[in-house]
Amino acid sequence: MAAATATTETKTTGHTILRWIKAAAGWHLLLAVGGVVGLGWLWAGGGTERVIVFKVVASLLLVALTAVNALAAVDLLRLRHRGRVVSLAVNYLGFLFCLFAVMHRAGGFTGFNTLANNFGRALPFLFLALIGVAISNLGENPGANRKMVGRGITAVGGILFLFLAGLATAGRALVISLTDPTTLILFVALFPFGLFLWAIWRQPAAARLGAKNVDNEMLIGWAFLSPNFLGFLLFIAGPLLFSFYVSFTDWDAFGNANWVGLGNYGRALNLTLAPLADAAQRANEVLDVRVYDELARIRLFGRSYVIGAQDKLFWIALGNTLKFVVFAVPLSVIPALFLANLLNSKVPGMKFFRAVYFLPSVAAVVGIALVWQLLFNASVGYINYFITQITTFLGLTDPKIRWLSASDTALLAVVIMAAWQWLGFNTVLFLAGLQSIPRVLYEAATVDGAGSGRQFTHITVPLLAPTTFFVLVTTTIQAMQIFEHIFIVMGTNPAGPANSTLTLVLYLYQKGFQRFEQGYASSLAWILFAIIFAATLFQVQRQRMSGSGYDA
Amino acid sequence: MNPIRKSLYVFVVLLITAVFLAACSGGDSAPATQAPATQPPTAAESSDEMPTAEPAAAETMDEITLRWRTRPDNQAEIDVYQSVSDELDSEMSGVKLVYEPGGSESSSYQDVLRTELAAGTAPDVFWIPGTDIADFATRGLIMNLRDMADATEGYSDENFYPGPMFHLTFNPETGNSGEALWGLPRDVSTFALYLNLDLLAESGAPDPRELAANGEWNWDTFLEVATAINALGDDIYGYGQNAWWGPYGYWINAAGGGFYNEDRTACGLDTPESIAGLEFESRIYNEYNVAVPYGEDSEPPFLAGKVGMFQNGRWATPGVRSSANFNWDVVELPDGPAGPSNWLFWGAYVVNANTAHPEEAWKLVQELTTAETQGKISALGANIPSRVSQEALDAFLTFTPPANNQAFLNGLARNPATEGPLWAGSWPEFDAIMGPAVTAVLNGDQSIDNFAATICDEANKAFNQ
Amino acid sequence: MNSHKLRTAVKYLLVYAILIFFAGIMLFPFLFMLTTSFKEPKDTFNYPPRLLPRTGLTTMLDGEEVPLYDLEGDEGRKAYALVESNIRIGVFASIADPEQTWELPPIEAKPKGGFTNQEKTIFNGEEMLVYLITVDGREIEVVQVGQTARGRFVDPDNPQNEIMANVRLSQPMEQLTARPQNYQDVVALQGMDRSLTNTILVTLGVVLGTLTTSVLGGYAFARLRFPGRDNLFVLYLGTMMIPFVVLVTPMYQLMVYIGWVDNMVALIVPWIFSAYGTFLMRQFFLTIPKEIEEAAVMDGASRLQILWRIFVPASTPALATLTTFTFLYAWNSFFWPLVIINTGNTANHVLTLSLNVLRGRASDSPNLILAGAAIAILPPMLIFIFGQRFFVESATSSGVKG
Repeated sequence: MAAATATTETKTTGHTILRWIKAAAGWHLLLAVGGVVGLGWLWAGGGTERVIVFKVVASLLLVALTAVNALAAVDLLRLRHRGRVVSLAVNYLGFLFCLFAVMHRAGGFTGFNTLANNFGRALPFLFLALIGVAISNLGENPGANRKMVGRGITAVGGILFLFLAGLATAGRALVISLTDPTTLILFVALFPFGLFLWAIWRQPAAARLGAKNVDNEMLIGWAFLSPNFLGFLLFIAGPLLFSFYVSFTDWDAFGNANWVGLGNYGRALNLTLAPLADAAQRANEVLDVRVYDELARIRLFGRSYVIGAQDKLFWIALGNTLKFVVFAVPLSVIPALFLANLLNSKVPGMKFFRAVYFLPSVAAVVGIALVWQLLFNASVGYINYFITQITTFLGLTDPKIRWLSASDTALLAVVIMAAWQWLGFNTVLFLAGLQSIPRVLYEAATVDGAGSGRQFTHITVPLLAPTTFFVLVTTTIQAMQIFEHIFIVMGTNPAGPANSTLTLVLYLYQKGFQRFEQGYASSLAWILFAIIFAATLFQVQRQRMSGSGYDA
Repeated sequence: MNPIRKSLYVFVVLLITAVFLAACSGGDSAPATQAPATQPPTAAESSDEMPTAEPAAAETMDEITLRWRTRPDNQAEIDVYQSVSDELDSEMSGVKLVYEPGGSESSSYQDVLRTELAAGTAPDVFWIPGTDIADFATRGLIMNLRDMADATEGYSDENFYPGPMFHLTFNPETGNSGEALWGLPRDVSTFALYLNLDLLAESGAPDPRELAANGEWNWDTFLEVATAINALGDDIYGYGQNAWWGPYGYWINAAGGGFYNEDRTACGLDTPESIAGLEFESRIYNEYNVAVPYGEDSEPPFLAGKVGMFQNGRWATPGVRSSANFNWDVVELPDGPAGPSNWLFWGAYVVNANTAHPEEAWKLVQELTTAETQGKISALGANIPSRVSQEALDAFLTFTPPANNQAFLNGLARNPATEGPLWAGSWPEFDAIMGPAVTAVLNGDQSIDNFAATICDEANKAFNQ
Repeated sequence: MNSHKLRTAVKYLLVYAILIFFAGIMLFPFLFMLTTSFKEPKDTFNYPPRLLPRTGLTTMLDGEEVPLYDLEGDEGRKAYALVESNIRIGVFASIADPEQTWELPPIEAKPKGGFTNQEKTIFNGEEMLVYLITVDGREIEVVQVGQTARGRFVDPDNPQNEIMANVRLSQPMEQLTARPQNYQDVVALQGMDRSLTNTILVTLGVVLGTLTTSVLGGYAFARLRFPGRDNLFVLYLGTMMIPFVVLVTPMYQLMVYIGWVDNMVALIVPWIFSAYGTFLMRQFFLTIPKEIEEAAVMDGASRLQILWRIFVPASTPALATLTTFTFLYAWNSFFWPLVIINTGNTANHVLTLSLNVLRGRASDSPNLILAGAAIAILPPMLIFIFGQRFFVESATSSGVKG
């Protein structure tokens, strides 16, 4: 839009441009002076209630602000292009900051709730507006009259919709919020930021400051990326760094934090091994039970050992997570491959089956888990009823599986439910992969006399490798983070009978948001990340190896 | 342009405009953004979230807003609490009450509360279960009301059941009771056995209600009845309970044991009495096989008419009334080797440590626990009044079925163990260690000897060392 | 030739059998959800379980409503009304022939020798009291070996016709029914209508926001050269692998700091900056020929115009993919709302949260819980069924491109 403005701009005398640039330089000088004043205020007694860290960080920011603005002012006066870049960046960020700050202070973000509240009563008028659009546009050649009527309806509907959705109160709220001095200052500051942003961006100013095509492309590039990048910094990169820091403290979220170094990681990973006199010896005779709990017993070279862990639950959770991955991934991938091959044989109704298989992946896990919880009920549930019917029919003994209440089947039940949900999605992915394999290859193979088995191993498997890789990686990552299925299906005790469905993410939730050991929870999250990273690397490695094997 | 695309544009544009405009109006309902410091953040949040809040309320600036919350189990309770709130609202001058029904047990009521406390958005007065009092108090999340209570005319700790008051007046710094006041109990509850009278009659077993009346209702006769009912069919069970600390706690307590030692400073699960109680319960599951498999929710099969005796609290009554297709009643829990036993479950209204209006909050706590208020709530039948008052108890007894309501009150009189917080340690941690270990025993995955040998080594880690 | 045809037919039959089997597995839980959501409270717990909602038939007898049962009587199978249950019945065995037993109300068995001085006998090694009962006009000496209970059923057409039978094992007469009231109850109980609005708005916000930032960012990465671009792109790629849980704690603290806890904006704004979406759009934009763009630049079009007029229309498949994924993610997300929207006041709850509260509050009413689940699950499913091609094909393109 700025470029468009620049082209419509006819002749602007160089004199005017120069005046704009000088004014901008003055604005930056003003900001620089403001930075110095703020610095002085900060150390002369303002904000004394703040902690020292805050003071240092604020000072650094203010120093940076002063330096950058001084640089911008000097460069602009010397008509250097660097000055333009810095000035644009400062004004852009300043503008955004003031805009969001005003919105925030005026309750703009939290007001989304109000919209949801009013939306119901405003909704009919939204439809009215849409009907208006339909009236004025539908049909081959709508007459002028109908167009008028349609537009009228659209306008009335739209205005009523906006009014009911909160227009009336919105203006008032904005005005009221401006009576607060800070909000007012921020609001007023919006104008110089915006004005100089526009002035320095314009083509004449660019030309005067010696902008080249490359420079413009860079500015546009950053401008396009900026919404994404700023959000990325604020909501992804920033929290990540913060989480990394927190993982070295014992933060409890109520405001108490101490640096504990690697303590959290140590606590999670601390294991010990103690030899036993005989396999039945009590663990408390050889372990320091004030620190360690018995985790497992192993036999090595004819001797028994007991493994003790400082945080037994972490290791149980890790074990359950890995068990879950080992069962759920094959169970949702192998049948998917099989079904995709069946669907690929061009049977009529393929699209119907494809749609049916895809259905579970569209549904909310919370809802689905509630359904499965009832199906899994050991005494009155459908699954055991079916099993009873089948075993009676075959004359076998009814296993009376306890599904969710027995420690050896609870995780299996979750595996079944998750595989059921992921199966269809994977099937569709495989199907797409299969359909992208050229038919010609199979035809050639048939001519060469290769049977369907050989065709599968020699054509399908290697050519499907990229899809398989994608499916495996995404399913594994998903499975590693299993939480919602378990949280709902296990009811009041998500950890399951004897902790048998305690997974890493569930444990992290318990520690971080039930016991409020947020520092420890953060370290668990990073451990999980390390595991996922390792698993992905492993799969990438295998993919590479099998890929090169195929090339050779 | 294609009409569909055009209408899509109109739709999107209108929607985005609406978002921004309505977004600004959020400031209207949140006056605290302009009124610095005088308004607490909690009040700002509440007016922001309450769509029903009258705009007029914001104008009368003298009136302060108090938010309070309890954990209701069904819509009927929500309605009663709401009407109680409205009534108190009109009685207490200068205070506007906002009642927020909290989530239920399985939707993590306490977790939600803790999260809100951490974020500074928790209500001024809220209800928490008895086991959580210590955790909230020692973290400094709830207010000590002792000084205000001492200055209040007509207030006395003795008006409430002593069991809960012991913990509610506990001072963790000195280790003495009677020196603090963390809140007042909302209600109490006990266990009873819900009986399927149809199965009982068909089995020909003696009626537990008569046995109880004759003083013959003990573990032996219990087992006899359970066995007789269980024999009716492959899919019929004599007994059922749910898997949490309450039900197995009864078996341990009734045998003379307990979760902790006498002064609640160490694990008591490995005493011979505790082990004997747990062993008997384990035999119900693994030797006599007369119960719904441990860990299975016993409520669905009970409501399907397949369980003879279902151990649960008063809170299960509304569900049984609406879904049971058979004749039913309740009876006291059988006497154990160490005599009668039960739990006294309770929860209390406490005051947020960061409330801006402690005086009014304390007043609200008292109002919520008057005999009159408790009578109204217990008339619903899901709670027993926490105040020792005949008026409130009478109201409770009027709610039938079950015919034998008295069984719940008898539970109170027959040596109940008070649900209690762990002042000398962390109850959630203790529970997280005890629960899986007991489950392993009751499922037959771990021997009782092994349990006895190891449980206290692990569980003692939950105590402050 | 014939055998070939036969083999093909068998093959097809087998393929369809497998496909239908799996389709059944996929559909059954949804079917169960729908039918249960229309059940009456008394119909929700049954064994054997039943799919369709039913209600028991009743009849009026002496001004009272009594349930009907299907019983085998003297006149064959017909409807009988249950008028009395839990009638105590004694089981008596003949002393002469222990195999022979009778079931009678205890009152009909007379103690032999009177109440005060009743005779005893040794029966199966145990000392037992002897009773006299009258069968076909003949008195027989018996002992009581057990007791049980029976229900008294009468023929509604002929009240003299009476049967005693075990109520539990009798077959109640029922008819199919449906109770849409459940849905109204759930809406009233849990404010599901408001949650639905919230979910729709949140989903719209997340989808529109993600599309905007991803298209802009993807274009910058794909087509604009600027210093730092490639390093930045690698950074984006790196964060794609980080599990969400790593972000939960700090993001929660950030929301506390900004004051967005318990506000719906916390469900939208943080989630519209998707590294995955940016990556997806970049990959797709790279495949669009450069020449078109250069021609447009020559004509004096601005970058924004080029993006809007050329790139966006050309990348419908990628946009569809991104829309699908974002839509499903936003609609179904649970963990983050669970952490951040916590108020006891349900006004700001999204559907998944409402369901979570509902499952506790209505834990003894599966009919209500599943009605709630249906409200949460059905809208995306309907959208999916109507836009099947769009959804499925977009999912497939993610596999190919991703």
